[in-house]
Amino acid sequence: MLTILLLAALAQAPVPAADDLPGDEPDADTPAVVPPLPVASLPPATHELFERLKGRVAQVRIIERRSGTRSSIGSAFFVSTEGHALTNYHVISDIVHHPEDYTAELVREGKDSEAIPVRVVDVDVVHDLAVIRQDAPVKEWFELAPKEPPQGTRLYAMGNPHDLGTTIVEGTYNGLVQDALYDKVHFSGAINPGMSGGPTVTGDGRVVGVNVSTMGNQLGFLVPVAHARALVERAREVKESSPSALLAVVGSQLLDNQQRITERLLAAPLPTQQLGEYHVPGRWLPFLKCWGDTPHEPENPYTVTNYQCSSEEDIYLSGEHRTGVVAYDHAYVSSDKLGALRFSALYEATFSNDPGGVDATKDDVTNFRCRVEFVKVGGVPTRTALCLRAYKKFPGLYDLALRAATTNASTSGVQTSLTLAGFSADNARALARRYLEALAWTK
Amino acid sequence: MDEVIFLEVLEADEVHARHRLDRFPVTVGRGYSNDVILDDPKVSASHLRIERTEDGRLVLRDTGSTNGTFRVEPWARLAELELADDARVAVGDTVLRFRGRAHVVEDTRVTAIPVAPQVRPFERPFAFPAMLAVTVLTFLLREYLTNYQKTDWGSLALAVVAPVFVCFVWSGLWSVASKVARRVFHFGAHGTIGSFGLLGLLVIPLLMGVITYSLGLGAWVRWVSLAGYLAWVGFILFWHLRYVTRTEPRRLIQVLGVILVCFGALTQADSLLGEEDFTSSVDFDRTLLPPAFQLVPSKPVDSFFEGTQKLQEDVDALAKEKP
Repeated sequence: MLTILLLAALAQAPVPAADDLPGDEPDADTPAVVPPLPVASLPPATHELFERLKGRVAQVRIIERRSGTRSSIGSAFFVSTEGHALTNYHVISDIVHHPEDYTAELVREGKDSEAIPVRVVDVDVVHDLAVIRQDAPVKEWFELAPKEPPQGTRLYAMGNPHDLGTTIVEGTYNGLVQDALYDKVHFSGAINPGMSGGPTVTGDGRVVGVNVSTMGNQLGFLVPVAHARALVERAREVKESSPSALLAVVGSQLLDNQQRITERLLAAPLPTQQLGEYHVPGRWLPFLKCWGDTPHEPENPYTVTNYQCSSEEDIYLSGEHRTGVVAYDHAYVSSDKLGALRFSALYEATFSNDPGGVDATKDDVTNFRCRVEFVKVGGVPTRTALCLRAYKKFPGLYDLALRAATTNASTSGVQTSLTLAGFSADNARALARRYLEALAWTK
Repeated sequence: MDEVIFLEVLEADEVHARHRLDRFPVTVGRGYSNDVILDDPKVSASHLRIERTEDGRLVLRDTGSTNGTFRVEPWARLAELELADDARVAVGDTVLRFRGRAHVVEDTRVTAIPVAPQVRPFERPFAFPAMLAVTVLTFLLREYLTNYQKTDWGSLALAVVAPVFVCFVWSGLWSVASKVARRVFHFGAHGTIGSFGLLGLLVIPLLMGVITYSLGLGAWVRWVSLAGYLAWVGFILFWHLRYVTRTEPRRLIQVLGVILVCFGALTQADSLLGEEDFTSSVDFDRTLLPPAFQLVPSKPVDSFFEGTQKLQEDVDALAKEKP
């Protein structure tokens, strides 16, 4: 899984001229933007870039009111003279969910004693972005790049990893991650916890992405700047924002997002995959990553073949709650040594194995309610269970779990399990139904 | 008062010793010169004396005892007491009761079974070994059928040893109770009842599971299972107790019924009060059996999904509840 990080980096020399993107001629009269480099100069030294930019990056501290001290940290960077700053949604999610328990403040490098209180103005929960704002105007800010740089461009990520102070990290731009459910940029550079919410800039100091997560060594992810630009534009329009309005914004963004995913899935034909004598749902859309395995244990008088698909991505709602997941798996169980009764004990045991669900707590969701029946799917009798649970903070959103086991043969069968997190009940049912009906017997 | 009275030495309302008094005066105390001797260290050697007065009344007098003589109801120290029927006095740690011949006793209790005692099924010869064998075989079969890995001799051995051990310990405890209360061990009967009970504890849930699956019954079966379980436990305890106490069967059933209903209600308190712990697991009946066990027809996909509308209403109601 991706781990989240905080902060930002900065950079050093871009590839010559490559950063001179059309349409963003720096305005020499505005001291706020980074001054352009001399044409045809060598790439700027990283230390020069850092000197120019470090004042525009700040540390976000989430302050727990009762203890009066920070409960988590992240990075942020200014994007307007009015004091707007961009960060990750996951950095400030505590404030969205528990405004009565948490506040946020910004601390600039080297000015520990001058913490400035900030408020959350707007969020983009699907792309993990948030705009926060301080009341005082800002003299220096970052310009957002108008378009994506070419692959291979040298970039500089800035931030405050592990609270070690503002840092700059070099890496390269590797384009949007292929077949991802939620857009993200692959950055080959070390992004570390604490750098979340920091900017990644080109050599001339324009932001091309927001640090969001890492998958280990030199493999980092950024939110594409296009989403950041859209959010900043929207946030400038926002006059007042109350915490409950933010929750409603998150809810409507989740509803829009699940509608988009549902439409994409329902518009695509559901390919099937052969598993034993059965057809089961295969890779529905490219954003699903599928894996298969048959453990070979000669001592066991049976075999189980697994096939699983998952978006391998989720949407962060709070420390304990994820959503926006599509995942399913199949297990083909067969035996030529076990009798019908002993096989049914095995079949029952594998049916009782649930795939890891989606994280959530008592405050986020209700318990599941299930309906289990014998259902005839395309001529095959199955034992099918459909379970739903509702989101407590976001009315209209549900998690669905579908489990089905074929019961037409006495010593073989296929079991399948579908998990949908964060869908409307109708969409979840429509998807579950399309999924279940893809099940078939080939004999 | 009657010319003959009985002095009863009580211990927790049970008569510990009874003395017929027909000649007065009578002396009571710890010393061997008394007519009635009490082995209570708190009673004086010469403690009290009972005399008949000229007009025929019986009077109890303390003869200067160290710790005194007390009337029980109401509690009061006394030097002298005119005895009435059922009078009680306390001396030291001993309570004395006085009753005349005219004292009315309770009605005779009517026995429920006015027939010659039969040989009960649990007492037949070889009932215990036969029942134990059936139970052990059932456990073995269950172990064999539910093991889908390669044969595990250890767990098969355990399937034999565990029920035997449990039966012997359980029946042993009941036998001791019988010995204490009825002076007979009845080990064979207790063993038969115990192994029969164990068999039921294994078979009842299996049977309920099969019936629920085959007929496609709903979640309400849980309550039937619970009731069946409690009834079975009640049945087993009833027969064990029949060998321990002389209580009338009808009364025994009433007492057991009340106890088991309370016990059942306590174990289900959570769901009866509508309280439910949060769980992120998916909770439904996972039973799967061979195709031949399905006795009800499969539903079409349409009607299955129509039925799930209700789930949405259920979880919406849950979401609205106060956290």
